[in-house]
Amino acid sequence: MNKAARAGAMLSLRGLPDEIVIWEILVRLSPKALLRCCAVCRAWRRATSTHDFLLAHHARQPILPLLENGNELDIFDHRPTRATADQFQSFDICGQNFLNLGDDFAFFHLVASCDGMLILRIDDTDLFVCNPMTRQYACLPLHLGHKWTLLGMYPHPPTGEYRVLLYLSNPDADHKLTPGSYVLALGSGQPPRQIEWPDAINLESEPYFRGSLHWYPTNVESENKTIYVFNTTSESVREMCAPVVIDCANLFEKDGMLGTVIVDYMKTVDIWLLQDFEREVWTFNCRIELPVQQIGMQCDRCDSRLPWKLVVVPGDDALLVLIKFGEWLFHVGKDGKLVATFHRKNVDPTHFQLKQTLVPHTLFQTS
Amino acid sequence: MATREAGKKMIMLKSPDGMEFEVEEAVAMESQTIRKMIEDDCADTAILIPNINSKILSRVIEYCNKHVPTTGATGAAASDTVAPAALAEDLKIWDAEFIKVNRATRFDLIQAASYLNIKGLLDLTSQTTIDTISDNSLEEIRSFLSTKNDYLPEEEQTIRRENQWAFQ
Repeated sequence: MNKAARAGAMLSLRGLPDEIVIWEILVRLSPKALLRCCAVCRAWRRATSTHDFLLAHHARQPILPLLENGNELDIFDHRPTRATADQFQSFDICGQNFLNLGDDFAFFHLVASCDGMLILRIDDTDLFVCNPMTRQYACLPLHLGHKWTLLGMYPHPPTGEYRVLLYLSNPDADHKLTPGSYVLALGSGQPPRQIEWPDAINLESEPYFRGSLHWYPTNVESENKTIYVFNTTSESVREMCAPVVIDCANLFEKDGMLGTVIVDYMKTVDIWLLQDFEREVWTFNCRIELPVQQIGMQCDRCDSRLPWKLVVVPGDDALLVLIKFGEWLFHVGKDGKLVATFHRKNVDPTHFQLKQTLVPHTLFQTS
Repeated sequence: MATREAGKKMIMLKSPDGMEFEVEEAVAMESQTIRKMIEDDCADTAILIPNINSKILSRVIEYCNKHVPTTGATGAAASDTVAPAALAEDLKIWDAEFIKVNRATRFDLIQAASYLNIKGLLDLTSQTTIDTISDNSLEEIRSFLSTKNDYLPEEEQTIRRENQWAFQ
């Protein structure tokens, strides 16, 4: 009987051929739906557990913006096909289903995102790397965690390792570490290795682009037009031109192109793209007129002096603008039209996105 | 507006049940599989499409006709005077109507779109199946795809426990 059942599963009588089910249907499921489908039958579980399948599945996942929401991390599925109720997937990061820190008052801050993995700073002390889909995590082996600033995470092509770029602000006498920049290979068991670095850069946005990480300088009063570029293969830093002098900007990567965003307070957002990476040629892409009136109407009881936050992030198909103002989150399209409004009191949009993955990574096994 | 103007190259598609469909080359090339045949010069005047019966093939051609990105050849919707946003909206409504078919036809369309490698049609036809799998119980998924449960009850329990969060 068992044999007959198995034959039925293989042939999917009156259904679809297994080949199609696996490579056209299951490969497009969300990670959550795919994990559920492992319990449908043995053939599905076997087929969806292979490395090739999981890589193909990861490649088809949308790029979704991440938001901090108190003790939770929200994945915002902004795609128009999603029902409003399903647009936010929340993860209780510190809770018992996840890092299980046994501390109800623990809080986290998202500091990096790369290939479906996140780096979180917990309680301003420890740094954790985790995959919210597989619930795997590892604590970064750094003593005096609060003295380290994490600048970015990247795959290192020559070794296949995932590495992080760190900045140590104070000397660590115990371990004879001097202030400066360090590279740490995750899961390698090796201590951080110091690298050459220009005078302290400590910046917040780091899109990963063509094997490089990028930062704007923090010192905006210097009228500096420099972006610092960290080459993730050679692990060295060089300077690159920014399009214009800016005082409020962030960087993003979309379709293999580096972009920068220049915001005029509650009026417009200008997008510039790096058209020619080698020659450092920036071109003006578009100006987004923000739907100020509509936002104002929604927030008519809000104090206009309240702080607001605007981020521009590459979404699944187009750029999206997320504005947090008062208790509301506004999703604005690249055409300046208000796409959706959400009452999300505590959310804080971040510059990070997640391309979800179920691919197993060795760095979780050895840390 | 004529749908078949003189000078446009035509291709004959043949289904295994003997039906022949004359279509513009540009329309046939919505299928990456056929495009490759044409580019590799493997196609003379007629291409036999195996495993896709005439009923399904005619629907696939209907889809490609609607979605081919040319000016004027696909009827009034592709007129120059229609804004791109309105055109996209029109296609969306058309797609929604197109996909109102029974399960068996939808499965046939998925297989045809997969074999002919037509990304838009595959996205459209597989989405409803993906939604069904995402929103229903394991038992419903099994019956929908005619898949038999070959786990022992305790094995299924173990798998559920391994990824408990996915079942909440």
